[in-house]
Amino acid sequence: MRVIDISRLAAGAVIAHRSRSLLTSLGIAVGIAAVVLLTSIGEGVHRFVLQEFSQFGTNIIAVTPGKTETFGISGAQISNVRPLSLDDSAALGRLEHVVAVMPVVQGNAQVEFDGRTRRTMILGVGSELPQVWSMDVSAGHFLPPDDQRAARAFVVLGAKVRSELFGDRNPLGQRLRVGGDRYRVIGVMEAKGQFLGFDLDDAVYVPAGKALGLFNRESLMEIDLVYRAGSSVDTVHAGIERILRARHGSDDFTVTTQQQMLDILGSVLDVLTFAVAALGGISLFVGGVGVLTIMTIAVRERRAEVGLLRAIGARRSQVLRLFLFESLLLSAAGGLAGLALGLGLAVAIKAFAPSLPVHPSLEYAFLAELLAVVIGLVAGVLPARHAARLQPLDALRAE
Amino acid sequence: MIATDVLTYAAGSVLGYRARTLLTLLAMGIGVASVVMLTALGEGARRFVTGEFQSLGTHLLIVLPGRSETTGGPPPLLGETPRDLTLDDALAIERSRAVRRIAPIAVGSAGVSYREREREVMVIGSTAAFLDVRRLKMASGRFFSTSDPRRASPVCVLGAKLKHELFGAGPAIGRWVRVGDRRFRVVGTLASEGRSIGLDLEDIVIVPVAAAQALFDSYSLFRVLVEARSDEAIPRARRDILRIIRQRHEGEDDVTVITQDAVVATFDKIFRALTLTVAGIASISLAVAGILIMNVMLVAVSQRTTEVGLLKALGASSGAIMRVFLAEAAILSLVGAAAGVAVGYAAIRFVDQAYPLLPLSTPLWAVASAVLVAMTTGLLFGVLPARRAAKLDPVAALAGR
Repeated sequence: MRVIDISRLAAGAVIAHRSRSLLTSLGIAVGIAAVVLLTSIGEGVHRFVLQEFSQFGTNIIAVTPGKTETFGISGAQISNVRPLSLDDSAALGRLEHVVAVMPVVQGNAQVEFDGRTRRTMILGVGSELPQVWSMDVSAGHFLPPDDQRAARAFVVLGAKVRSELFGDRNPLGQRLRVGGDRYRVIGVMEAKGQFLGFDLDDAVYVPAGKALGLFNRESLMEIDLVYRAGSSVDTVHAGIERILRARHGSDDFTVTTQQQMLDILGSVLDVLTFAVAALGGISLFVGGVGVLTIMTIAVRERRAEVGLLRAIGARRSQVLRLFLFESLLLSAAGGLAGLALGLGLAVAIKAFAPSLPVHPSLEYAFLAELLAVVIGLVAGVLPARHAARLQPLDALRAE
Repeated sequence: MIATDVLTYAAGSVLGYRARTLLTLLAMGIGVASVVMLTALGEGARRFVTGEFQSLGTHLLIVLPGRSETTGGPPPLLGETPRDLTLDDALAIERSRAVRRIAPIAVGSAGVSYREREREVMVIGSTAAFLDVRRLKMASGRFFSTSDPRRASPVCVLGAKLKHELFGAGPAIGRWVRVGDRRFRVVGTLASEGRSIGLDLEDIVIVPVAAAQALFDSYSLFRVLVEARSDEAIPRARRDILRIIRQRHEGEDDVTVITQDAVVATFDKIFRALTLTVAGIASISLAVAGILIMNVMLVAVSQRTTEVGLLKALGASSGAIMRVFLAEAAILSLVGAAAGVAVGYAAIRFVDQAYPLLPLSTPLWAVASAVLVAMTTGLLFGVLPARRAAKLDPVAALAGR
């Protein structure tokens, strides 16, 4: 028998039992659709989160006080015996490959203008913020490059604070109070939206030196620096460690590169996507059991046919191939239908609920179809072998 | 046909086709077992997390310095504020009648050294009440005594891991360690708590709050833990705290008060939603198993056409035929579901023994709904084949056409 004959015979059998074949394929299709849709959502979340994190640029390195290995808030950020100082920040700025460096102090205080008040996040930063965090002003200027120790009392408002305090009025040049001290507004930041639940627009930016005074502390919470694109992270990392070790006399700081963060996040999200895919895979597995059941029934029903084939000279391997091909056909067709269904649902979700991050991944779709084919083969092996082992005489007599 | 006849007949045909029956049961069993196991996992995680939060203490309120205006947003986690939350504020809160006790907390990090060994750890400054509010247990020695919280006595309590790192198996009580640039005498060590959310209480040193303030040269507190007198007193305690702080801070509302119940409730909600989602995804496989039952029943009807014809010729009504096939579908799905529940529970027990930390338990609603969904899909998908059987014309069926 040629391949074309086998496929014609198998296809004939599939088409002859129309409703049965349809239902079997439907089982596989539902499983594949679940896998495709779930991985689309997983991939979408993956991209969304990575995008959220890399919106500040990818060449960032953060230096925090205290030696910790975890990413949580460490006690050292609040107070410690060996603070990171403004001088440390300035020293890091002289490092080779470093483009910009910026001290960060964060806190919470009341901002007041013309009788309106709002409690908001106060970020004490340097003039390099637009470059370091890839943010831009929508009006006016950002803080000028003053010496942090004698910085002028200028403030730049986040978009939300601006609209809450000033409404439609022009805030530029106005004087407002931040935690009791008077500041002059010189700029307004572009709206940036939410970042992991934190509203980035609900903040005001003042010089770090001023913020240290406001909160009555000496230690910075973080130093962020950007290195030149293309230069090696490891060189910069080593440079930072060398300088700070020389200045502090010990390893009392933690250096976190954006790349490290992204890598760790990426691997966590990959595991998540895989786990979700595995959940969908349960349905696929049940669908595979369905193929196995139906093929077992088919072999039993068509014993006489097998006997006849064998009697007129078909070899065992040919009978085996015949049934294998039939189960393959069932699952592959189901897989294709499932792909269409899953991708269709993903596209529909994207169209009707654009806020949900859904990203159909061709890679996973291809893998899912491959999986369907493999399931078809595995589920077909047992019944097909059973058919191939039938004795022609017994099989014929079964009628 | 009476009900028992229908059942015996259906059971007979289920038993008659052993391979196909087993496979169908397998499919249904996998679906139900996965629902049972996954809800157990989700429920276990939920209990674990809420249990962790509850173990932080009872009737707990947490006062943080700083407040953000956006409601529903996250609280200012490491907020510095122009006006510190001070020890005096904390002691003023204790005067409220709804409050049983308070534990002010100042944190920072510093190197702790004993002889040649040094380790950088989190330093917590608090008062004697910390032990009771957080319900910590001592492994040896005592916690510092309830003297004036403003006195910076040079005593400290070590976390279990820190004690081990500095002293190994040797005794620590009575030894002097250096924290930052000050010397403290070890008066006690904490029992190993194993795990705790938020703070790793293994690798810390606890000193009197005044000593921590001197060490870090800062008067601001990181948190104040407040234990209310009872569950009913929590709202009053909250109001009192806000009022007292407003009075002390010149009319400014610059603290955030979180109740432990609110935190627990939030996590509870998140984990419930997660469990439901996972169970929902797993129950897609129940639908697939239902499709298989329909398929198998369709095959059964077409194979047993003559049998149906004979039954009808003997006087069985269409209703009776329908009931026979429906009973067969019901048996398949019910036995499959029962097998799935059994396998699921066995797996849960196994995991429970392997990882006793995770309190696995399937909620009854999950088992009930899994079995119910299995039954419903089985019957629902059984209707079409059963109707086809019932509609067969006896003469044509007997003739094999």
